[in-house]
Amino acid sequence: MITKYFSKVVVKFNPFSKEAKTARLLLSSIPPAQRQLGTQIQNEVLTNASNKAPVIKVTFKDKKTMEVDPTKYTFQELANYFDTHSRQLSLKETIENS
Amino acid sequence: MNFVSRQLWGSSGLGFCSLRICSQTIVSRSFASYASRAAPAAFKTSKSPQDGRDIVKPVTSRKTFLIDSYKQLMGSNPVILFVHYNNLMKNEDHHYRSQIKKAGGSLTVLRNNLFSVYLRNSAFPDPCAPIKRRDQNLSHPLLPLFKGPTAAICFPETDPQSVAKVLKLLEKSQDRLFVVGAKVETAVYDINQLSHFKNLPDKQGLQSQLLGLLHILSGAGLVKTLEAGSQTLYLTLQSHHDNNEKDGQE
Repeated sequence: MITKYFSKVVVKFNPFSKEAKTARLLLSSIPPAQRQLGTQIQNEVLTNASNKAPVIKVTFKDKKTMEVDPTKYTFQELANYFDTHSRQLSLKETIENS
Repeated sequence: MNFVSRQLWGSSGLGFCSLRICSQTIVSRSFASYASRAAPAAFKTSKSPQDGRDIVKPVTSRKTFLIDSYKQLMGSNPVILFVHYNNLMKNEDHHYRSQIKKAGGSLTVLRNNLFSVYLRNSAFPDPCAPIKRRDQNLSHPLLPLFKGPTAAICFPETDPQSVAKVLKLLEKSQDRLFVVGAKVETAVYDINQLSHFKNLPDKQGLQSQLLGLLHILSGAGLVKTLEAGSQTLYLTLQSHHDNNEKDGQE
């Protein structure tokens, strides 16, 4: 997954239910050095009692926001989904730099 | 003559070479067949008792060692917090480990698959033993926690105050290290229950509270209620005995 263009990541999940795998793999795939580079990462652990819905929300550097329900996707599908926009951004960057 | 002999030597040498290659291939082929035939045999020996144990992996293997260490970890620590161990920088890792140690715990990074194997087999005396899938506990309440990088913070005693200290430390760490679940004695807690648990007094305090409560109540009829059952039984038996004696006299 291309995480270079993320500016803010919000992850809410219940660790005992199905979406936990996707959410936790997403959190672990963001390199630790990226926190110093200005990517905000927020996470909230839900419980069975709380009535909030699990969500993964990514804001890119061009302020586009993508929101996904992690119960419906595997991590790989999610990564592909976010990469579609990341690739556009990287293409734009290479054109501007050349 | 010389030439011929050389040629002869050459040809014979070549022949020898080809023979050697042939024999090598034969040897290697036969070895391969031996290996493929020997493989189940080797597997069988690994299944046969080792060091007095009947286990799946060799007794000196890392997997066996880790599963045994997880058994020890779960058995000897009444309170264990399971945390999401999000790839930390080296200095962060050092910092958290030392802080947790100060609060009276210890951080262990777990291998998910091996820990799940332990959990599934935890009802059996030896979790490394070959156990059929239908006998395993596939619905252990802790099993869903082992998806993604996980570590355990173990406390050798049930002390809610040290848990509260560690939870306070982890609050600051945000996404780097956060609690996903916990094992307290035999129960499995989520973070809500854990936040209730950390406010409790320690185990000795609770026991003394209970004792005090019983002392106060004992004045007000608790002892009487506890005694009542045996007393009525005694009275009925006594009256029955008296009646029998009366019948005997008549």
